[in-house]
Amino acid sequence: MKLNNKNVILSSLAALGLALSASAAIAADYPEKGNFVKGAKAWADNCVRCHNLRDAKELRDDQWITTGFHMRVRGGLTGQETRDIITFLQQSN
Amino acid sequence: MSKTIKPFHKALLAAAISAALPITGFAATDLELLKQEVAQLKNDVKDAKEWRNQNSLMHMAGYANVGYVSNDNPAMEDSFLGGTFAPIFHYQFRDQVMLEAELELSTAEDGSTEVAMEYLSIDWIINDNMILVAGQFLSPIGNFRQNLHPSWINKLPSAAPGFGHDGAAPVSDIGFQLRGGFHLGGMKANYAVYASNGPEIKAEIAPDLVTDPAGGAIDEIEYDGIEAEAFGADADGEKVFGGRFGILPMPSLEIGVSFISGKATVTSYEGDEFTGTDPDLDGIAASTYDVAGMDVSWRSKSFDVRYEYIKSEVGETSIGGFDLAATEWSTWYGQVAYKIPSTKFEAVLRYADFDSPHGSKDLQQTSVGLNYLITNNFIAKLGFESNDNPNAGQKAYDRALVQLAYGF
Repeated sequence: MKLNNKNVILSSLAALGLALSASAAIAADYPEKGNFVKGAKAWADNCVRCHNLRDAKELRDDQWITTGFHMRVRGGLTGQETRDIITFLQQSN
Repeated sequence: MSKTIKPFHKALLAAAISAALPITGFAATDLELLKQEVAQLKNDVKDAKEWRNQNSLMHMAGYANVGYVSNDNPAMEDSFLGGTFAPIFHYQFRDQVMLEAELELSTAEDGSTEVAMEYLSIDWIINDNMILVAGQFLSPIGNFRQNLHPSWINKLPSAAPGFGHDGAAPVSDIGFQLRGGFHLGGMKANYAVYASNGPEIKAEIAPDLVTDPAGGAIDEIEYDGIEAEAFGADADGEKVFGGRFGILPMPSLEIGVSFISGKATVTSYEGDEFTGTDPDLDGIAASTYDVAGMDVSWRSKSFDVRYEYIKSEVGETSIGGFDLAATEWSTWYGQVAYKIPSTKFEAVLRYADFDSPHGSKDLQQTSVGLNYLITNNFIAKLGFESNDNPNAGQKAYDRALVQLAYGF
């Protein structure tokens, strides 16, 4: 019985961990990883062309991907700039 | 000793078992519940993982604003404004394609809900420097409409005259657009070129202003306005071509030039007290339609300075034997915003001048604003507009506006 209880507790913890990881950032294998330092500069140079800078912690990793691509369309960014900015934001959130 | 103790042990064991039995029973029930919860949790996790499909991402962004307007127009009451809710839906498959759709929902004066499609496009990421935007898109002419109009971005509570849904600058269109960015030497450049359905023209009938060659009183017809919002079908079959090219000699300075060339046709008219025969719009010759624009923006740590000019021109045509002269709409604004150092306050000054062929619509506007950046994407704005119509006998009314804008 003791063993069973231990198994239940361990299973519960594992399940909770999985649940938490499921609600956390999605580790997509795209876009290709960019350059963090260049991303920081591109973020500071480009985003303020139109609006106030947004805090990296506002969005999850996966949300920064869609937002980055939306901004690429809207702001005329290159693909490399977009990847750099997404990498910077994902590593800063 | 052991013989005498054993019965005691047995009794003790019996007492312990009997005491433990209810606990064991409770523990078993509790354990069963826990197992069920774990099983459910595992299913939930499994379901959640299905939404973690890494090939597809879904995200809703957008903005909303509410406010209050006060004006010196005796015919209009001061009013709280229900504002606008503009959700933007993004659905993306890897780094190949993205669907973008923005709705604009607002409460009308009569309490009904108005819904408009701002844009709906499928964006094909062709390569690092080119994206095909197909469908309904915001007009890439100039900078305000495509990049600055969301309320949490616009530094004043209103659009400059002629840049809203009312004037010289096109709003949206339906077609195919190629756009992207690239490096040009040590500079950065961006571009957008497109082909689209283009606008439709609305004419106005002014009664009894000219005399019928046959002797009777008839009406004059003139251009009233360009309806440069996306049309789901091309009423006249005439397409337009346009685009914008922007260059950034340095990251803080952008200079853009825009153009549209094509044809557009009168598809509707308005005017009461019409005394003549309704003009026949079938078979009317298309007019030339040309737009030219320029925009400049510069920023430093505290300053954000913008200038934008757009001119739209419709060439001559004739309806029912009456000639419509070439007509021009133009507008421009200059805006300076200053973020007060070490505070969350931002001061804004904007001057705009909208010229229309109809004197009653001309507007010269001076706006001042004070913004409080609660956060960078949640802004409280206070604005005052001094509006003047330079034409004799025309009146424009001043307004004070309060707005809360939130970008998400």
